[in-house]
Amino acid sequence: MQLQETIGYKTIQQWLAAKGHRPFAFQEEAWEHIVQGKSGLVNAPTGFGKTFSVFLGAVIDFINRHPNNYQTKSKNGLQLLWITPLRALGKDIARAMEEVVTELGMSWQVGIRNGDTTVNERARQKRQMPEALVITPESLHLLLAQKGYADVLKHLRIMAVDEWHELIGSKRGVQVELAVTKIVHTQKAQANWHCAVWGISATIGNLEQAQEVLLAPVGSTGATVKAQLRKEVEIESIIPDEIEKYPWAGHLGIKLAHKVIPILDQSRTTLIFINTRGMSERWYQTLLNIAPELSGAIALHHGSIEQELRLWVEDNLHTGRLKAVVCTASLDLGVDFRPVETVIQVGSPKGVARFLQRAGRSGHQPGEVSKIYFLPTHSLELVEAAALKSAIEENFIESRDPMLLCYDVLIQFLGTLAISDGFKPDELYHEITATYCYRDMTRDEWNAIVHFVTEGGTALQQYDDYKKIEIIDGVYRISNRRIAMRHRLHIGTIVSESMMKVKFVSGGFIGVIEEYFISRLSPGDVFTLAGRNLELVMIKDMTAIVRKSNATKSIVPSWNGGRMPLSANLGKKLREKFTEAEMVAREAMQAVAPAKNTASRHKSLATAWDIELKVLQPLFQLQETLSHVPRANELLIEQIETKDGFHLFVFPFEGRLVHEAMAAILAYRISKITPITFSFAMNDYGFELLSDQPIPVDDTNVYELFAPDDLLADIQRSVNATEMAKRKFRDIAVIGGLVFQGMPGERKKARHLQSSASLLFNVFSEYEPNNLLLRQAYQEVLDQQMEEVRLRNMLERIQQSTIVLTFPERLTPFCFPIKVDSMREQLTSEKLEDRVKKMQLQLSK
Amino acid sequence: MQVPVAHKIFQHQFWLSPDRCIFWEEAKALIVSDLHFGKSGHFRKNGIPIPQTVYKHDLQRLVDQLQYFQPQQVIVVGDLFHSRENKELELFKRWRHDLIDLPIKLVRGNHDILHDRWYQEAAIEVIEESLTLHTHFKFMHDLEPEQLDHQQYCFSGHIHPGVRVHGLGKQSLAFPCFYFTKTFCILPAFGQFTGLAMINPTAEENVFAIVNKQVIQLQ
Repeated sequence: MQLQETIGYKTIQQWLAAKGHRPFAFQEEAWEHIVQGKSGLVNAPTGFGKTFSVFLGAVIDFINRHPNNYQTKSKNGLQLLWITPLRALGKDIARAMEEVVTELGMSWQVGIRNGDTTVNERARQKRQMPEALVITPESLHLLLAQKGYADVLKHLRIMAVDEWHELIGSKRGVQVELAVTKIVHTQKAQANWHCAVWGISATIGNLEQAQEVLLAPVGSTGATVKAQLRKEVEIESIIPDEIEKYPWAGHLGIKLAHKVIPILDQSRTTLIFINTRGMSERWYQTLLNIAPELSGAIALHHGSIEQELRLWVEDNLHTGRLKAVVCTASLDLGVDFRPVETVIQVGSPKGVARFLQRAGRSGHQPGEVSKIYFLPTHSLELVEAAALKSAIEENFIESRDPMLLCYDVLIQFLGTLAISDGFKPDELYHEITATYCYRDMTRDEWNAIVHFVTEGGTALQQYDDYKKIEIIDGVYRISNRRIAMRHRLHIGTIVSESMMKVKFVSGGFIGVIEEYFISRLSPGDVFTLAGRNLELVMIKDMTAIVRKSNATKSIVPSWNGGRMPLSANLGKKLREKFTEAEMVAREAMQAVAPAKNTASRHKSLATAWDIELKVLQPLFQLQETLSHVPRANELLIEQIETKDGFHLFVFPFEGRLVHEAMAAILAYRISKITPITFSFAMNDYGFELLSDQPIPVDDTNVYELFAPDDLLADIQRSVNATEMAKRKFRDIAVIGGLVFQGMPGERKKARHLQSSASLLFNVFSEYEPNNLLLRQAYQEVLDQQMEEVRLRNMLERIQQSTIVLTFPERLTPFCFPIKVDSMREQLTSEKLEDRVKKMQLQLSK
Repeated sequence: MQVPVAHKIFQHQFWLSPDRCIFWEEAKALIVSDLHFGKSGHFRKNGIPIPQTVYKHDLQRLVDQLQYFQPQQVIVVGDLFHSRENKELELFKRWRHDLIDLPIKLVRGNHDILHDRWYQEAAIEVIEESLTLHTHFKFMHDLEPEQLDHQQYCFSGHIHPGVRVHGLGKQSLAFPCFYFTKTFCILPAFGQFTGLAMINPTAEENVFAIVNKQVIQLQ
C-alpha cells in the first residue's frame, strides 16, 4: 500500500493541515521507509522538522498497525527509543512529542530518561515503560544494566539517534553503536526480527560513512533521506575601531564588548557563543558592567550551571523574555528557540561545521536568513571570518571520523552486561564485531579483553583475590553488589570528568565544577560560578561548600573542556586567505607608500578583498616588514632570540594538536643533531620551540627536518608520546573502570581505592606494558592527538612548498600569540640526571 | 645499585638510598615509610586490575636494601600496609617468616588498620604515636611541626613528598624526594604504587630528589 493511502498518513496529514502545515517532501520520504520497516538516515538542518521526520513516522506506523483503537490503546510497551546527546534536549523533544500525542488523542506516554531523572520516575518506568522514551547514550546503557532488559525491548519498533553527527566522532558514539547491536541482536534472538534504526544528522563531510557506522549492526546500509533545503547564512565581522591597538594575542575579546550592545538592541534575542565556560562567566559580568540596564534581560548558560537555572534560561529563551544569553557549546544543539534572531560567535569556532551549527541557531523558520557576527579575540583571528565565509560558500564541511577499537568502552560495556543478565563470550563476540567500531577486532584481542575483565591482568596467582566478572554456569556475571553499584556509577563517566558539586553553607546548590580546579584552591579563595562570586569555605564529601563573596577580584575557573583544535578544512581556507592577505599588503605598500592617511590607503585597495583582510592590512604590513606573510604554498619559520632563550616559530595552520605532535617530532629530530632540551608551545596557527641554546635549523637541513619519512618511528621515539598517552590514559582509565571516583555517602571507605590516572599509567607502563588500555592510549594519541593522517598530509604538503626562514629582530604579529600561550610541553635528548643538574645551575645563577 | 648519599644530623650518619629509604649507621637501622603493602591487592579485590608485580617488586627492593645495609632493625614510620587483610599480605607473611630475626618497629600510620593479632603473628612491634631512640631521634607518621622541640630530630612520612624542579624554557619535572628541615625529615613513600604531594621548601632546608636510580641534592 502507498504511504498516502494509509490511515496513519491521512491522520497525520489532516492534523498538520488543521494547523496550516504540510509535510515536507523529505518527511514523507522518511515516513514511507519507516512504514515499510526500513532503517536509514535523515540528513536535515535544524529547524526544518527533522524530529518529525522520524517521530511522526513512528506514529503513522503505530496507527497503521492499530487503525481502530490507536487512540485508546495504552500500555503498549516501549515503541520508540529516542537517543539524544544532550540532557537539555530531552525535555524539549519530549514536550514536542507529547503535544502531538495529545492533539491526536492517543494514549501514548512520553518519558525522559537521563542523569536528572528521579529515582521514583525510573521505578515508574520500570513498572510500565512509556511508548516513547527520550534517552541519553549513558542512560541507555544503564537500561541495559537492568535485569530483564530484553523484556523491556520486546516491542521496540524504532531506535532513533538524534544529532548523530555530534555523537559519531566520540566514545559516546561508540556507546550508541554497542547499544544498537545489543538491542538488534536481543530482538533477533527473541523473535527473529528487529527494530528499525534511524539516524538524524546535520551535513558533515562523511555523511555516507556516518550512516554506515550507525547501521552496521543492522546489516544493511538502509535508506538515505536528504532534505534539499539550504539555509542562507549571513556573516559579519565585528571590527575593532583601531586595529593597530587591538591586542595581538588573547582569548577573551572583552575589549570589543561595547560593540555587542548595539547588536543586542537591534534583535529580539541574541545568543552569544563563547568557547569556554570560564570565559563565558567573564563575558556575562562584563556585559552587565557596561550595560547595567540589561540586568534581568541577559542570562548565562553553560554545562556547569545548575540544571534548574539552565532550564529557566531555556524556557525564557522560548518565550522571548531574554534579550541575550551568554552560552557555550551547551546551546549548540537542540530544539530551536524561535525568538533568537542573531548569533554572536566570540573567538574562533575552530571549524566550519560548528560555525554553521551555531549560525543556524538564529532565524530557523524555513526561508529565513541566519545572522551571525564574528567577534575576534585577537587581531589575526579576523582572518578566520574571511576563511569561514568562503568555506561556507563552497560547502566545505568537516568530516567526523568514527572512533575505532575503543577497548575502554567495550570493557565498560562488558561490565554493564555482566550486572544485568550476564553474557556468553562466544555469542557476544559476534554481536560486538557487527559494529563498525569493533569489526576489525580479532579473536585474540577479544580473548584478551575477556581475560582482563575476569582475571585482572598480571597477577601473583595464589596471592590474588581479584574479583570483578565471574563465570557462573558459563555465564559471565558480576555478582558482588558493591562492584555492581560502582559500575553503574561509572557508566556516566564518559561525559564528565571528576566533577564536584558546589553548595552554599546554607545548603543551596549552585552547580558543578571540575575537581581539578577546586583542588588548586584554598579555603578563603574567591572564584566565579554561574555569574556569582563565591568564597570557598571547605571541601566535604565531594562537595565544595561556599559562601557569597563581595570580593572584587576572583579566580575564573579554567575548565579543561572546550579545547577543540582548528579543523583541517578551516586551516586550509585560512592558508588561502593569507595568500590574499599577502597580496593586499603588498599592493598597499606599493600603491601608497607615502600616504599616511588610513582612509585613503583603504580606498586604494581593490574592493574585491574581504573586509577583514583590508582592515588587518597594517598588521600584515608589519608582519611583512619584520618577517613574511606566508602564502598557501609556503611554510613560514621565524627564529628569534629573546631573554627567555632561543625561539623557533613555525606556522603550518593545522590546529593545536597537529602542532603539538609536530613540535615534538621536530624537537626530536633536532635533538638528534645535538643534545638539547626544548620546551614548546602551540596554538591553532603554529608552534614554538624554545631552548636555552641556539637551535640548529637552517636552509641546509630544514626540508629534511620536515620529511615524512620515518614519521611513525619518530613519533614513537619522541618522548612526548608518553606524556600524551598519559593524558589520554586519564579518560581511558576512568571509562575502563581503573579510576574509582567514589560513591555518594561513603567517601571515607573509598579513599583506600583512589589513585590518579597518571600513577596508574606509570605502574602499568612499568609492570604490564602490554595492557590493552595502555595500548589504546598510545593508539588514541596517534589517531586523535597526533592526527597522524593529517600530520602526514601536512608534511607532504610542506615538501611541495617553499620553506621561508626569517630572523626577525623582535616578536612578530604572527608569533606573539604563541609566545604568550602558556600550553607548554617539553622534549629532551639530555639524560634526566644531567637535566636536573643543569636546571639547578640555572636557578642558582 | 647506585651509591647512597650521606647526610649528618646531630653527628649521626644517615645514608639516603635511591630506593627510597634511609640507613641510620649508629643505630644500624633501616628507616622506611609508606610502603603501602597490599595496596594492589586491595584494588584487585574491588575489581580494579592493578598489576600485582608492582607489589612483588617493592618486596624485592626491600630485600635488596636489607642485604645491602645489613641493618639490625627496621623502623617503619607508618603505612606499612595499605588496608585490611587480603591475600597479598600472605606473601608478606611468608617473606617475614624468612627474616624472622630482624626486628621491625612500626609507628602506626593512618593506613595501618589490621588487627593487633595480625601484627603479633607477623612479629611486628606496633608503636602508637611516636618512638624515640638515642634520646635525640623521634619517629612518627604524620608530624605536626609546631609540636616539635629543638632537642629532638623527627623522622616521618605520610605525605609522600615530591619536588618540582623548574628550569629555563619553562621546563619542569617532578620527583619523589627526601625533605630535611632543621627539626624534621619527611621520607619519600617506599611503595611504587603511590602518588606525590609537592613540597615548597625554604632556602635553608635540604631536599634530595630521587632521579631514576640516583639521589641528587637540590638544595
